[in-house]
Amino acid sequence: MRLHPFTALTAAACTAVATTAAASWPLSVAVVVATAVLAARARVAGRVLFAAAVTMAPLCLSLLVLHGLFFPEGRTVLAEWGPARVTAEGLEFALDLATRTSACVLVLLLFSFTVSVPDLVSALAARSVPPQFGFVLASTLTLVPAIAARLDRIRQAQEARGLLLRGGLLSRLGALRLQMVPLVLGLIDDAGIRAQALEARGFGAPGPHTIFRHVEDPPRQRIFRAVALVLAAMAVVLRLLASWPEVASP
Amino acid sequence: MTAATRAALRAGIDEFTFHGGTAPALRGVGLEIAPGSLTAVLGGSGSGKSTLGKVLAGWLRAGHSGALRGSLELFGTRLDFRGSAGDPRINPAEWSRRVCFVPQDAAAMLSTVRSTVAEELAFGLENRGTPRQDMLVAVERAAAGIGLSALLDRDPATLSGGELRRLAVGCAVITEPDVLVLDEPLASLDAAGAAQMADLIRSLVARGVAVVVLGHSVDRLALQAGHWIVLDGGIATAAGSPAHIMGSPELDASGVRLSAPAASALPAAPPGPAFNLGDVPVILELQGVGFGYPAASPGRPGRATENAVLRDLDFSLRPGEIVAITGPNGAGKSTLLRLFNGLLRPSYGDVRVGGNSIASMPVGGVAASVGLLFQQPRDQLFERTALREVRFGLRQLLGSEGADARARAALEDVGLSAAASVHPADLPASQQRLLALASVLARDPAVIALDEPSVGLDRHGVERLGRAVEQAAARGKGVVLVTHDAGYARTAAYRNLQIDAGRLREV
Amino acid sequence: MSSSSLTLPEARKAASRNRRILEILGAAAIAGTYIFLVLTQPADIANGPASFSALVALGGFLLGAVLLIVAVLPVLPTSTLVLIPVALVLNVVLGQVMGSTGLPFYFDAIGTVLIAVLAGPAAGAATGALSSIVWSFFNPTVLPFAAGAALIGFLAGLAARSGLFRRFYLAPVAGFITGIVAGVVSAPIAAFVFGGTSGVGTGAIVSAFRAMGDTLLAAITKQALISDPMDKAIVFAIAAMLVYALPRRTTFQFPFVRRFRVLAGKAPAAPAS
Repeated sequence: MRLHPFTALTAAACTAVATTAAASWPLSVAVVVATAVLAARARVAGRVLFAAAVTMAPLCLSLLVLHGLFFPEGRTVLAEWGPARVTAEGLEFALDLATRTSACVLVLLLFSFTVSVPDLVSALAARSVPPQFGFVLASTLTLVPAIAARLDRIRQAQEARGLLLRGGLLSRLGALRLQMVPLVLGLIDDAGIRAQALEARGFGAPGPHTIFRHVEDPPRQRIFRAVALVLAAMAVVLRLLASWPEVASP
Repeated sequence: MTAATRAALRAGIDEFTFHGGTAPALRGVGLEIAPGSLTAVLGGSGSGKSTLGKVLAGWLRAGHSGALRGSLELFGTRLDFRGSAGDPRINPAEWSRRVCFVPQDAAAMLSTVRSTVAEELAFGLENRGTPRQDMLVAVERAAAGIGLSALLDRDPATLSGGELRRLAVGCAVITEPDVLVLDEPLASLDAAGAAQMADLIRSLVARGVAVVVLGHSVDRLALQAGHWIVLDGGIATAAGSPAHIMGSPELDASGVRLSAPAASALPAAPPGPAFNLGDVPVILELQGVGFGYPAASPGRPGRATENAVLRDLDFSLRPGEIVAITGPNGAGKSTLLRLFNGLLRPSYGDVRVGGNSIASMPVGGVAASVGLLFQQPRDQLFERTALREVRFGLRQLLGSEGADARARAALEDVGLSAAASVHPADLPASQQRLLALASVLARDPAVIALDEPSVGLDRHGVERLGRAVEQAAARGKGVVLVTHDAGYARTAAYRNLQIDAGRLREV
Repeated sequence: MSSSSLTLPEARKAASRNRRILEILGAAAIAGTYIFLVLTQPADIANGPASFSALVALGGFLLGAVLLIVAVLPVLPTSTLVLIPVALVLNVVLGQVMGSTGLPFYFDAIGTVLIAVLAGPAAGAATGALSSIVWSFFNPTVLPFAAGAALIGFLAGLAARSGLFRRFYLAPVAGFITGIVAGVVSAPIAAFVFGGTSGVGTGAIVSAFRAMGDTLLAAITKQALISDPMDKAIVFAIAAMLVYALPRRTTFQFPFVRRFRVLAGKAPAAPAS
């Protein structure tokens, strides 16, 4: 069965919210494992895990060093070197946050790497989200490879002109300007022409719009989305009620 | 045009100046276009023909994009502009539904947010609230009209140049406009693509659409037109029937190329080099070079690769020579050029510059001896004025005064002395190409390599380029140019080679 | 006016009040969330990760960013709208190019600042917020920082409007101040949602403050006050350099640049010297 983009989005967002609200590392780990399995079944495991690793590796490392070594609130001291104290509480805090963030990142990446962007854009337009939002989303994804190719072309053209990227920091910064200026100028000029073309084709004109691309939205999926939203809202409310802070009076 | 014909579009542009522009882009241009007619607006690079097309079609609008004085009249609805705040504001969605413009770069017409050809065609209808059933019908009909029915489910990004151009026309005609303005509709299309485009335009005219083509050469479309307008420096210098304009001094002065190949632009083949080639050392040499792009499946590099572009290729260049290398698209011309300065490295064989192998030299280092000029000058230019652009990096080599003198001399060589303080991006495309050439010449490389130098140049540009190249050769530089334009190659070069099955052979 | 008219009616002001209310609500949501978080920050985070604060920070800041987008996006001229995807990719591409110099900064807002200078505070704010939302397709951790990114775009636009880009040396000063504000506002996200920063260098600075006994929020705020102003000063300087390298005809197509005389020596009357 093909998922409506909103169904996938709701499932991912609700899972992320509920995991954040629950704040329990076993649950976070379970979400990580479940997401990895789903990603493997959708044949995107490699890309999802790679993108997640690029994001999460520095964060996890930073958390481990930060809370593992310096956690003034910690009481159970496991080891101590000068100002650095390894505490059980600190390690647990790092574990909690690392697993929680990993779970949220993975589940959202699973959504973005499996969703059909054209379907998402047309579903958004059908819900009278301003067409501008769909434009920014879809146009960005089209532009990423185009701009990368353009930067490559500029580099080649300038190397062929005898411009070398070398020397100290300042001279390299200066050389970067040479690449940035043609890139930015070309992109702004192209964008100007694209704006003229879009307006000529009626984009941004007031009045009703229609949608050419048809996206199935079976009733079952609507029910699923409603249930998921209610459950996530309950998780948030429970968390807020459970730990509403008492504002400390001075 | 007789008084009995009802004009579809009538324009009297006294003056149009871009915001931030120092001089008007258009001055004193009037035209009247009847339904079912074909009009050609001819002009050289920077003549203002694209600006005119965009003003007619509501892409450039009074107040919004610049200051306009004059009037536009569409089927009897007349709008007068005085360049003041109280001027009428054109509704682009409605005006452009009836007067459509298709830019030279067809990709600029596309929304970039639709994933199939069918959806791209429907984009303009969606924005105007056309019911879905009507859109399905209109898309089918438009696709049949432009010959893309078989490609409706393709991603627009995967279309060929000719298909893309037809899709852009399809996006315009799907709203059934009365007037269609096409900017260089045949540019960089191969023979088959150009024939298809010309047929499409003929059928539109037959259906009663008023078509205006903008061009810098008297090509097959211009010859079919019933009315010509010559633009020069933003001013309409001549208008009338082709027979009346052909051979007129105005057309001659405008820099319009008289036929598509650049051959006609040059009077005769240049004289051969002034000295005996046998006596001087080779400055660029390729010895048994082979090159292949990596296969989709990792294969062994070397002679056995299936997608080899060049095989056992030998080539040598001596000072003072001008060599043209021709071949169809995809024959490996650009690949060969990139081997000269190390942007690409051969799979086997050796590239020697001035007697030394460049195998272990960085591209930037080779560039001191081999100056390479690509098709897109915009990618190479980054300074605030033309002079600074050419002078860039020369100071370390020649000192402040020497750099200045060298830069001015290079600008002089390409005929751009008058533009020394102009921002490179404000120059017309033809002159940008010449400026990029000047920046290569100023560094005084022994070898100058040019990629498709004649494409997109008007006649003035082709002439200046030819002169600059001959002067460089006369000073003892070796020049290689690759082109798909065999006529241009014959007139521009002393020696002609053709790429055939990965090797070079004399023509 | 019927939609089939060839000309547009006079600009209407009726809908603009609703949009202004949405903008104010968005700004209020961001400011209110920040104040709430600072007042109620958990005294003892040893009792577990700050899920409550994380949910409040995410909810409040995202709500603010979405309100700003809803207010601004539909009225942005198309010529500005098409720049947002460009700005977004520039944020990433130029960020990577600058990253290759090895400097310990992020440089992830060059495109946003560029658009703000050309098209104004509202466009800058929308660009910043949309950047974060769209880029979260590839890196979901930037999503919570949408409000901070919107703030950077907004402040850059204000700086341009008040003429700070007319003098090259004032641009980094404006960037420095923007960095202080944006860094402080984004600190609760780093502290409560992620529990730290995603860089080894910045992490070390936070560790140092923690070792001195600061709370996590205080430590991260102090770290932001060290890194962000410098980072934004450089970003503003780069954006100014790029804007001045563009030809007049390109910069002057933006009504914001013409109306507020954003750039020095580029008054329409006088030809370029």
